[in-house]
Amino acid sequence: MGGGVAAVVFPDLIDEWTGLSEFGLGGEFVAAFIAAFVIGNLMMIMTALAGPWAKRKITAAFTDRIAVNRVGPYGLLIIPADAVRLLSKELIVPDGVDRPAWDLGPLIVASSALLGFAFIPFGSGVHLADPETGLIWVFAIASIASVGLVMCGYASNNKYSLLGGLRAVAQNVAYEIPLILTGISVVIFVGSLQMSEIVAAQSQELISIAGVSIPMWFAILNPFAFVLFLAANFAEIGRNPFDTPEAPTEIIAGYQTEYSSVYFVLIYLGEFLHIFLGAAIIATIFLGGPAGPVLPGIVWFLIKLWAVFLLTQWIRSAMPRFRIDQVLVFGWKLLLVGAFLNLILTAVIVGVIT
Amino acid sequence: MSYLSTWMAVAALAIVAILIPVGMVVVSAILRPRVIEQGKTQIYESGEVPTGDTRIRFNIQYYMVALLFVVFDVETAFIIPWVVIYREAVETVGLVHALVPMLVFLGTLLAALVWAWRVGAIKWVKRAPTHYRRSQS
Repeated sequence: MGGGVAAVVFPDLIDEWTGLSEFGLGGEFVAAFIAAFVIGNLMMIMTALAGPWAKRKITAAFTDRIAVNRVGPYGLLIIPADAVRLLSKELIVPDGVDRPAWDLGPLIVASSALLGFAFIPFGSGVHLADPETGLIWVFAIASIASVGLVMCGYASNNKYSLLGGLRAVAQNVAYEIPLILTGISVVIFVGSLQMSEIVAAQSQELISIAGVSIPMWFAILNPFAFVLFLAANFAEIGRNPFDTPEAPTEIIAGYQTEYSSVYFVLIYLGEFLHIFLGAAIIATIFLGGPAGPVLPGIVWFLIKLWAVFLLTQWIRSAMPRFRIDQVLVFGWKLLLVGAFLNLILTAVIVGVIT
Repeated sequence: MSYLSTWMAVAALAIVAILIPVGMVVVSAILRPRVIEQGKTQIYESGEVPTGDTRIRFNIQYYMVALLFVVFDVETAFIIPWVVIYREAVETVGLVHALVPMLVFLGTLLAALVWAWRVGAIKWVKRAPTHYRRSQS
């Protein structure tokens, strides 16, 4: 096993390398800050790769076109070029916007998504904090973003933005409960909400076929929950086929219609961070976290993140968008009932086995 | 890792998570131009001259769902501790005592969901406009 469980968390590791904790609480905080800085920038690099480059390349491959290939090898230098281009755009403040809320909305969307990674075990010791209630914290922080979306939608003084914000709330409300219910159904197997224990429980061997041991990943153990969670997660982060809050063919760009320049970048950044945060939750509770053969744990974890990202882009190219009322019917009538069924069935099966 | 250092690490990431976007805003404020033109700051309505205000009173027929959400959210909060201790509970007090009370609890809530479903509380629009209904029938 390459990854397994992080015995020490990331700030402790930095402590070990630098000996910062000798300087008391302040030194410990500096170590924690360095760890947080590394994780924050790791995610920024991931989104920088995903947003201006990988997304275009993947969509182009699906639609049989050639995307960004002019600047640098494989068009990779489009990333700094786009960063400069977007940040140096003029910021247009529309008439009658609700000023503090209009400015704070994009900040909340981006910041909350970044904060969620505090509890994610990346493997190889890169795990910022490991409280006993880790799973609940991740869900709690991941859902702050909808507050930011409402602020963007309502403060923009634009009808399309208002509709987009309204849709974002309705959708998040409909999918929050199925998401959490299926998410905690794996806790029945583990008996703990701590992220490192959830990962550790999945490293046991489930079954051995022809000498190849298959680990007890919850996606293999409970595929029904995995599918439910994937669907609920795509709706929660507002990706296709559930991207109704943005729906460019219906309401321009939803809550982000009136945003330009750096605020547009922040909303865009928040969206990609949310895709990765959702992917990180999926990888941690269903795909064995950083576990995998040969390669170190963090590499496996990043591979799993990118696999989920590829899936979101695949679905984006392959599936049409749901209508908003269909999204809600799907959430409340199908997914919620499915989530309850999954929870009860899991409890009965686990109860009978033990 | 101690309790304090766990939350200190989270606080550190919270600071980083605020500093990075704010840093981007500052960089952009230094880089970007500001060209004042007439009509540029109009809100976007597909190129037409905007009509009316957005700060109006409108009927969210969907508000019942918000109430429903609160009910189910609280219920989720009750389920989480049960899920955590479930395996131990089955070993100590047996399957029936660990499972049946929660089944009754979930059954009550599911009955409530079915009721809300049949009343039509979870519809996006309760009643379609009259002309729409006529063309449908």
